[in-house]
Amino acid sequence: MTSAISWIKVDETAKAALARILTERPSVVLPPPLHRLALRVGNVVEIVGPSPSAKTLILIQTSINCILPKEWKGVQYGGLERPVLFVDLDCRFDVLSLSHALERRITGAYRVRSGVKGNENEYDKELFVACMSRFLYTRCYNTFEFLATLRTLPYRLQKEKEKQGSAVYMLMIDSIGAFYWMDRALPSSSTGSNNRKSLSLQTVAESIVQEIQRLLLVHPMLVLAAKSAAFGDKQSTTHVIRNSGKRFDDKVLDSGGPQKPSYRDYMPSIWQSFVSHRILLRASDGESKHQTHPSFMTEWLLPPLKFSDKFIVNDDGLLVTL
Amino acid sequence: MIESQCRPQFNGLELLEDAQLNKRILSTGCERIDLLLQGGLRVGHVTELAGPSSSGKTQVCLKVASHVARKYSGTVMYFDSGNSFSPKRIVQFLTQESDPANTEVDEIVQRVMSSIVCYSIFDIFTLLDMLHQLMNNLKSEIGCNVRMLIIDSLSSLIAPVLGGGGAHGHALMVTAGFLLKELAHEHNLSIVVTNHMVAGEAGSSKPALGDSWKSIPHVRLLLHRYRATNDSCISILKHPYLNCITVPRALNL
Repeated sequence: MTSAISWIKVDETAKAALARILTERPSVVLPPPLHRLALRVGNVVEIVGPSPSAKTLILIQTSINCILPKEWKGVQYGGLERPVLFVDLDCRFDVLSLSHALERRITGAYRVRSGVKGNENEYDKELFVACMSRFLYTRCYNTFEFLATLRTLPYRLQKEKEKQGSAVYMLMIDSIGAFYWMDRALPSSSTGSNNRKSLSLQTVAESIVQEIQRLLLVHPMLVLAAKSAAFGDKQSTTHVIRNSGKRFDDKVLDSGGPQKPSYRDYMPSIWQSFVSHRILLRASDGESKHQTHPSFMTEWLLPPLKFSDKFIVNDDGLLVTL
Repeated sequence: MIESQCRPQFNGLELLEDAQLNKRILSTGCERIDLLLQGGLRVGHVTELAGPSSSGKTQVCLKVASHVARKYSGTVMYFDSGNSFSPKRIVQFLTQESDPANTEVDEIVQRVMSSIVCYSIFDIFTLLDMLHQLMNNLKSEIGCNVRMLIIDSLSSLIAPVLGGGGAHGHALMVTAGFLLKELAHEHNLSIVVTNHMVAGEAGSSKPALGDSWKSIPHVRLLLHRYRATNDSCISILKHPYLNCITVPRALNL
């Protein structure tokens, strides 16, 4: 009798549950252009854009924000001081771009605090070493290596947690759609063996989603996945050709509607439904004063927000919102 | 056992160390290109040279082959798909570069010519075969130490299989791309591929091989030749950390 009653009794009120969730999994605001929404551990954010459009740069800036400490020897850096795992499927990551950006950030923050150049190199090295050791990196050259890596990640992350003292906070996947064409052409198995699952794009996507879900149960993390996308289709290009005679007016383009090139998602539906937030990047037609720097526009597709941000990549490689 | 089954995990410091030790910069032999790329071609990068026909892509490839074979020890592999490899032109580049001391020039020419290995490849399947063979040789460390791989032109091998409704063309292209990236990074090669141009939107031209190819090379360069002055110029389309909108630099070839 007692066991049945204890089963029906409430565990905690909604208020208590909310308080517990907010303290255990606080929401974090990422650096621009992802700053419009507060994200929590367990969210899967997809950053979509054609190539080239600063996606890897956004991932690098967010990693730097995560690996920097909140405060080091009196200087405020405003970071989260947690490790980041970067899974490079595109295999184009250049560690020098990360290290240069980190150095600039550290010296910039130090210069802000003391107006003098002083002994910045000293501060650089120690902090730099501490931060770089919080950046974990793996690369995979095909889907099977990716699946094998995901399978062994719980074990490896556990070892890292014991070594570093804090758990990995973010999982970055550069170009989740990198192996899309190779997977589409996977040969399906012959009718002989019924026991093995036939290989196809769908089953591969299912396995990836399953592995990541299992991983998130044991090691809750914020997942950021970049994806390169193709815009529009044959119809829209002919539409553009027809319009080329007219005078192009910026305002007309920005008003949206049928002139905006449409975005098509090519990932299998199981991945699409796994994603909880989606942001779209697009190169914007630059105004004359910003022509020296590439400028981009962002638009949140999921949840759909009504406004879009503009940002440029300045000389230092930083993203500056306009 | 887990470590041996899948790709290793590194932290930022180990990556930096590897970059500083292994991933050197190879000078191309063309001063202007070196200036544009802040040193030259980087080991571990796949560099794409795109340009309309007769804009100087093959000339740049030959110049780079002769310079790298001369200055750095190691073999240069040249995969030629259009019978455009010319030993005479390489000798010309070498004699242009060195001082007029006759006996030395002969020795240099001898050494360089024996370190450039040229293969004629006419279809994508042979290319994939050759790349797999190269990978196996490098993994088991037989054969000589390869420094650079030049594929002229990669687009003429891939373009015939792209198109049509099937996904196989794209799959072959992406497989070749990832093989090149693996060769470049794991075995410390620098890879140069060339690409031609096709008509794009509103009358402009764009590099061939489409959108799925865009995410494969690390560095994309655009060659352009002005008809009036017969001068070539080169600009960066994409680079991991250099600013893309750079002033085009005129070449002297």
